[in-house]
Amino acid sequence: MASNTAIKVSNLTHTVTSNTGDLTILKGINMEIKESESVAIVGSSGSGKSTLLGLLAGLDVNTSGEVFLYDQAFSGQSEERRALIRGEYVGFVFQSFHLLPSLQAIENVMLPAELKGDKEARKKAEVLLEKVGLSHRLTHYPNQLSGGEQQRVAIARAFASNPKILFADEPTGNLDEENGKLIIKLLFELNQSQGTTLVMVTHDNELAKMCDRQLVMSAGQLTEKSL
Amino acid sequence: MSFTFRLMLRDLRSGDLLTLLLALVISVSTVTSIGLFIDRLQLSFEQESANLLAADRLVRSDDELPDEWKVKAEALSLRYAERISFTTMMFADNSLQLSQLSAVTEGYPLKGAYLVDDTLFGTGQSSTEAPQPGEIWVSSRLASLLNVQIGNQVDVGDATFTVTKYLVRDPGSSTSAFAISPRAVMNMADLAATNVIIPGSRVRYSLLLAGERAALSEYEDWITPQLNEGQRWQTPTQRGERIGDTIGRAESFLLLAGTLAVIMSGVAMALASARFVKRHLMQVAILKTLGATPKLLGKVFFQQLFTLFLAGALIGLGIGWAIQELIASILSGLMSTALPEPSVSRLWLGVATGAISMLVFCLPLMSHLIKISPLSVLQPNAKVELNTVFIYVIGFMGMYGLMCVYTNGFLLPSIMTAAISAIALFVAGIGWMAFKLGRSLTSGATSGWQIGLASLYRRLVPNLFQLLVFTLIIMLTLILIGVKSNLIADWQQQLPEDAPNHYLFNVQAEQIESINDATDALNVPRSDWYPMVRGRVIEANGESVEALYPEERGEPELYERELNLTWSDSIGKGNELVAGDFSANGLSVEQKAAQEAKLSLGDELTINIGGNIITLPITSIRTVDWGSMQPNFYLMLPKSALEDYPANFVSSLFIDETAAQPFYKAMSQFPTVSILNVGDILKQIQSIIGQLSKAIQLVLFCILSAGALVLLASVRSTLEERLEEGALLRVLGAKSALVRQALLVEFGALGFFAGIIAALGAEACLFGLQVFVFNSQASVHPLLWVLGPVIGVCVISTIGIFASRTVLKVPPMLLLRGL
Ligand SMILES: Nc1ncnc2c1ncn2[C@@H]1O[C@H](COP(=O)(O)OP(=O)(O)O)[C@@H](O)[C@H]1O
Ligand SMILES: [Mg+2]
Repeated sequence: MASNTAIKVSNLTHTVTSNTGDLTILKGINMEIKESESVAIVGSSGSGKSTLLGLLAGLDVNTSGEVFLYDQAFSGQSEERRALIRGEYVGFVFQSFHLLPSLQAIENVMLPAELKGDKEARKKAEVLLEKVGLSHRLTHYPNQLSGGEQQRVAIARAFASNPKILFADEPTGNLDEENGKLIIKLLFELNQSQGTTLVMVTHDNELAKMCDRQLVMSAGQLTEKSL
Repeated sequence: MSFTFRLMLRDLRSGDLLTLLLALVISVSTVTSIGLFIDRLQLSFEQESANLLAADRLVRSDDELPDEWKVKAEALSLRYAERISFTTMMFADNSLQLSQLSAVTEGYPLKGAYLVDDTLFGTGQSSTEAPQPGEIWVSSRLASLLNVQIGNQVDVGDATFTVTKYLVRDPGSSTSAFAISPRAVMNMADLAATNVIIPGSRVRYSLLLAGERAALSEYEDWITPQLNEGQRWQTPTQRGERIGDTIGRAESFLLLAGTLAVIMSGVAMALASARFVKRHLMQVAILKTLGATPKLLGKVFFQQLFTLFLAGALIGLGIGWAIQELIASILSGLMSTALPEPSVSRLWLGVATGAISMLVFCLPLMSHLIKISPLSVLQPNAKVELNTVFIYVIGFMGMYGLMCVYTNGFLLPSIMTAAISAIALFVAGIGWMAFKLGRSLTSGATSGWQIGLASLYRRLVPNLFQLLVFTLIIMLTLILIGVKSNLIADWQQQLPEDAPNHYLFNVQAEQIESINDATDALNVPRSDWYPMVRGRVIEANGESVEALYPEERGEPELYERELNLTWSDSIGKGNELVAGDFSANGLSVEQKAAQEAKLSLGDELTINIGGNIITLPITSIRTVDWGSMQPNFYLMLPKSALEDYPANFVSSLFIDETAAQPFYKAMSQFPTVSILNVGDILKQIQSIIGQLSKAIQLVLFCILSAGALVLLASVRSTLEERLEEGALLRVLGAKSALVRQALLVEFGALGFFAGIIAALGAEACLFGLQVFVFNSQASVHPLLWVLGPVIGVCVISTIGIFASRTVLKVPPMLLLRGL
């Protein structure tokens, strides 16, 4: 297996200011994830998993420490640069889907390609929606789709930019078992077929076990779960 | 098609863009229509008043008019005419009479018309042409004094003229009540032959101008620096203080209305922008996770806002234009003259309102949005801190600037801004306490009352904000209603239908009785007789007036000329004492004249009355209702000071159409008595007031409609949240009637508080406006205290229920998943 480093994190801390005072969510995280690996992050609710995932994807700026994606450091980069890195390397799937409510399914999936000025955006989106089994719901709006269908659209959208790394934050958290399974199947299929690195936050033990590695988040610290 | 526009088109379907577009259109169209309409009215007033000036503009001079003045007028393609007025002796067969004669050039009057008649004391037909050479028109008064008729000859200096008409009204004649004497008009071509004007004669030369506004103002800029002491530039509105005053107040009202429209549209824009941005928060965050850079997002949203602005401005201008055309066409049936076309240059005002609203309300929020980290938006429990206070401060400053530009001054915007700030603080304080009280009085969730009142407190900040918006809109409405009824009542009071339209001067004490008998016989109402002695103020507090005002300019009216002095036991109709004691043995001075001369109670004036010098302290200050058409005096002296002088008496009368002929006939027994007919001026003022009242009501109606739209927008902005909650309640088993009742209570309470506070604010504002802007007396408006809460409760709950009606029918399931 190729062993390029996809993600490298050293001494990552993150502090947020809320109305009750400063809160340090992440307290010195170190880890490395190789290309094409699938990694599950588990841990109790409120332990900082989502925050970590967001920082890995460059969705926010960490307080101190370093995050590297393919040897490119996020810290110290302008929002402009970080957005470009995101567009290049990262796909994201959220627990609550986060589709744009004013756009149809196909338009949601077209967005990443459109942002890059890709003229083939629609065609590519159709292909992706077909892959997730939604070719019959192209022009439906998010509020006309069930949760499982919405998450499939979100996955299609995440893969639309051919990301090298896919982050998924509790992708099945809002879904029933059947739909959850379908989503997991899709994620791993795409992980395998496109060689995408998969980093996923989950409460689902079975799902976690399917991953190459499991990391445990607890009180802002990350430890490897020995198998 | 670029990404921006595809995104926009898709957004359009969701209605968010439409809301913002709608707010923009309302903004631009209200301000445009009112701006244009005010412009047309101003033009129209100016034209009406131009009829009284006989020209659009006039330059008056004590010396002969320099030729360059005419050359310049020609160069600017202005029409011009000349008039020379002087007092001269006129001769007929066996009588002579000192008369006011004017000689006019071809083309005079440039505006308005002469009224002339073929019968003595007739009411006259209009004539836009001046007398031909060799002809003279004499007033009926002069004709009877000289004992001449049409076809007879009169002599002026070395020349002889034929009387061809009786002059009823000279459009450019002075309206100053006391400067009358028998008058006549002749052609300028004959003037030289009379040889009456010799160096040193007291002659007034006037150059009358008419033409395009731009050319007129260019002419004004050119001539003003050249004018010497005896020369003055006159505009129609300066002419005739009463009309100037009336129009001035109407303009203030319309300006105020326009300013309120600016504020309302500002509120509408602020609401819509906040909603737009809130709804796009998610969009921006998601686009960012997908790799959209801030630069790209900046470009996309800037282009969107710009396109929106273009569309909104164009549609708004179109609608605004259409609305003012509509108002004008409704009014055209009522107006005596067609409204002039509005100036296209006025359109920028609406565009500027749109642009500034977008700049101050949308851009800061948007740029803040673009900088925000997507994680803070996408975390389910994270709150986005939009620095809204800062943004509203910017918005507020923008609106203030706009109002300043709009009103061309700081006074009105400052009053409004101070009032709104005070109201905002007040609303925050009172609202918080009231909601809290409402909450503590009711607990549980079994009735709509409890749920409604509880949710007022629970969503404190949005509700306070909404309360502020409601209060503002209702307050603005109340202010307008208050000002409108004040103005109209003021005018009606000033000029009742039977306001005196004739003055009698030069009446000797022994004639009074017989004149009284004559007028009583005709049932003509008459004011008291005032004795009149002429005198001149020569010293103030022992210092001579010349020393106080070495330059002729800037001299207060009180010192400027010989005054008509009077005495009276009572203060007289239309006069009101503001300070001191009227019956004290001293001077009573009119308030404005006293202010102008910086005089107050206790100051001493020295007056020269026919060579006798007397010095008296000021013992009372009066206000005078100049609009009342009663004989009015700047200075009243104690009886003891004047009774030994030979006095003339003056009185005013109301003579209706039918009494006119017999009255004039009866008065010919008293050839020395001067009669001044101000009926035409009065009619003109009354017609202007009539038009103004109607215009004002229409403008008020327009603004109120705009206000209702803003209220609707404001209700809608929080409706989703309320409905979501309503849906939850319904899921939990509440009947939709309960949810509706809760909404009704919530909106009703908001409306009630808003109405009460608005009445308070409006009362305060009206006080400021009456005292500082309209220069009238402050008064209390009980009507507002009723209207405020009633409008508040009825309108707001109606709008609220109406807006939520359709959604209340939707199954809760759809609501919960769809938002
Ligand atoms: N922007 C923020 N402001 C305040 N508190 C935050 C913010 N982001 C996260 N938190 C808090 O930090 C903790 C960790 O959050 P999160 O990373 O979402 O946990 P997890 O995903 O593991 O449940 C939670 O208690 C959350 O409320
Ligand atoms: Mg989480």
